[in-house]
Amino acid sequence: MPARNHKQWTANPPLKDGEWINSRIYSDPEIAQEENEKIFKNMWVPVCHESELPAPYDFRTTSIANENIIICRGPDNEVRAFLNVCPHRGMLIERRPSGSFMEGQASGNPKRITCMFHAWQFDMKGNCVYVAREKEGYQDRLCKEQVGLRRLRCEVKFGGFVWINLNDNPSVSLEDWAGEPFECLRKTLDEEPLEVFHYHKAIIDTNYKLWHDTNSEFYHDFMHYHNRVTGFNDAYFARKNEAFDHGHVVVGTFEVNYENYEGFESRADLSFPHLPPNQWYMVDLFPGFNFNLRGSALRCDTVTPLGPDKVLIEFRGLGLKSDSPEDRMTRIKHHNSIWGPFGRNLHEDLIGVAGQGTTMRPDTEPRRILHGRQENQTIHDENGMRHYYEEWGRWMDRSPIAPDMPFSDRDDGSQVVNAE
Amino acid sequence: MIEMKAKIERAIYEASMALDNNNWAGWLSLCDEEFNYKITAFSPEINKDMIYFEHNKGELANLLDMLPKHNTDHSPLFRHTSVYTVDVSESGTEARATSSVVVFQNMLDGVNSHLDSGESRLFLVGRYHDTFTITDGVVKFVTRETRLENRRLDKGSHYPI
Repeated sequence: MPARNHKQWTANPPLKDGEWINSRIYSDPEIAQEENEKIFKNMWVPVCHESELPAPYDFRTTSIANENIIICRGPDNEVRAFLNVCPHRGMLIERRPSGSFMEGQASGNPKRITCMFHAWQFDMKGNCVYVAREKEGYQDRLCKEQVGLRRLRCEVKFGGFVWINLNDNPSVSLEDWAGEPFECLRKTLDEEPLEVFHYHKAIIDTNYKLWHDTNSEFYHDFMHYHNRVTGFNDAYFARKNEAFDHGHVVVGTFEVNYENYEGFESRADLSFPHLPPNQWYMVDLFPGFNFNLRGSALRCDTVTPLGPDKVLIEFRGLGLKSDSPEDRMTRIKHHNSIWGPFGRNLHEDLIGVAGQGTTMRPDTEPRRILHGRQENQTIHDENGMRHYYEEWGRWMDRSPIAPDMPFSDRDDGSQVVNAE
Repeated sequence: MIEMKAKIERAIYEASMALDNNNWAGWLSLCDEEFNYKITAFSPEINKDMIYFEHNKGELANLLDMLPKHNTDHSPLFRHTSVYTVDVSESGTEARATSSVVVFQNMLDGVNSHLDSGESRLFLVGRYHDTFTITDGVVKFVTRETRLENRRLDKGSHYPI
């Protein structure tokens, strides 16, 4: 077909509903704000790994949907999470990314979470244990027992990741939400403790869903030289994209021939427990969390949306806590070769998603984004994204093809799009 | 000894210029056959020393030869290097040096070339920790550890730093 005029360019594609979406959902500031309220404030989010706070009184800080969070390990070894906000006057209590409360701070004692502003102190269960000049200021009108921290739903699960939900009453338990997609890796991830060995982050001018799309489809292997030379065999194409409830997708495994690529080596000797040699599983959890196990190393991506056209992506690499120094080095090298910030594939993936972000900035004309490849739910099929946007529509009650329409009316979506 | 220190400083600056020019063969020619290259950082987030990249000379040569087959952000990297210390062994056959390095990315094609090309952005901050062998007055890099202060690396890079 020759190049199209504006009417042709903005016309609906000859595909069924669900096989394309409106790019406005990647660029509309109102939709981005609404996603934080409707999705991220009600979602289980893997904020870190338990190995990042290995000892009692260790802590990590993070944020979900602009809410600041502190995670700490108590003397009872329990990992708990609280809003990182002082109940006095709203000060951010802990400013560091990680550390230990075993050390006293300028305003507070050891073993206490201390707000530096007015020296209010809290224990590892979030109880307020000290209000400076409590009686003098509040007499009997308010006491420390009434001003504990805001506790959050927090579980350590699926290989030791720390999951938090800002909603006290989530619509579904963590097990019911992600247990089935993790079933293929449950024995592997839970056989023995894992440990994080890699962390870096990227802030990319793109929508968070576009990063998850990239993690959910393998059609983009044309972008990766490494995949082309190692992966293009029958077993590679035969892998299935299996959809699970709640918008999740699991990409099935096959045996990767790493020896085919100069500079790479087999990972068979360092396979994770219960995993056949050189296998590759990928778990994509709605709305933007990816667990990618290539035989010897596990990668985990988490997204934090920063607006319609900006996302923080945190990248972690994990091995077995029991690794010898030599084995750990080998795992790190395997991880970095493809997934490191100076590795082969990650750079290409991020260029790709940044390019999409460039064409979908706020106020760009909405376009039709195609998710219509049908290949028997194998890896070049785009069923993973279709499944994802069904779930997105339910959470947002917006049609992905006509975002101003309720999701429940989606069957009429094409008519509304034509009328825009 | 002063003359040898000057030679080592010169090798560090020549390496920076070769890397700035994507002259990979020229860079590797400054390196011993046993050369080992690392990019490292400490993460306060996970409280661990990390290795972001590690290759020997042969692995580097293979990797750099394959660059044309990868999709790469072609924005040139430009290093501002300052040699801080040079220590030559008493035997005069080995040396080590520490340099500060700041890397700018001169935007070309990475995001939106219409808006961004021609702009220089701070890309990385760190130090080079180098060791050298000195044979018949010729200085060669034996190891380079590029120790970054950054953990936010955005799109990253296919290029050695």
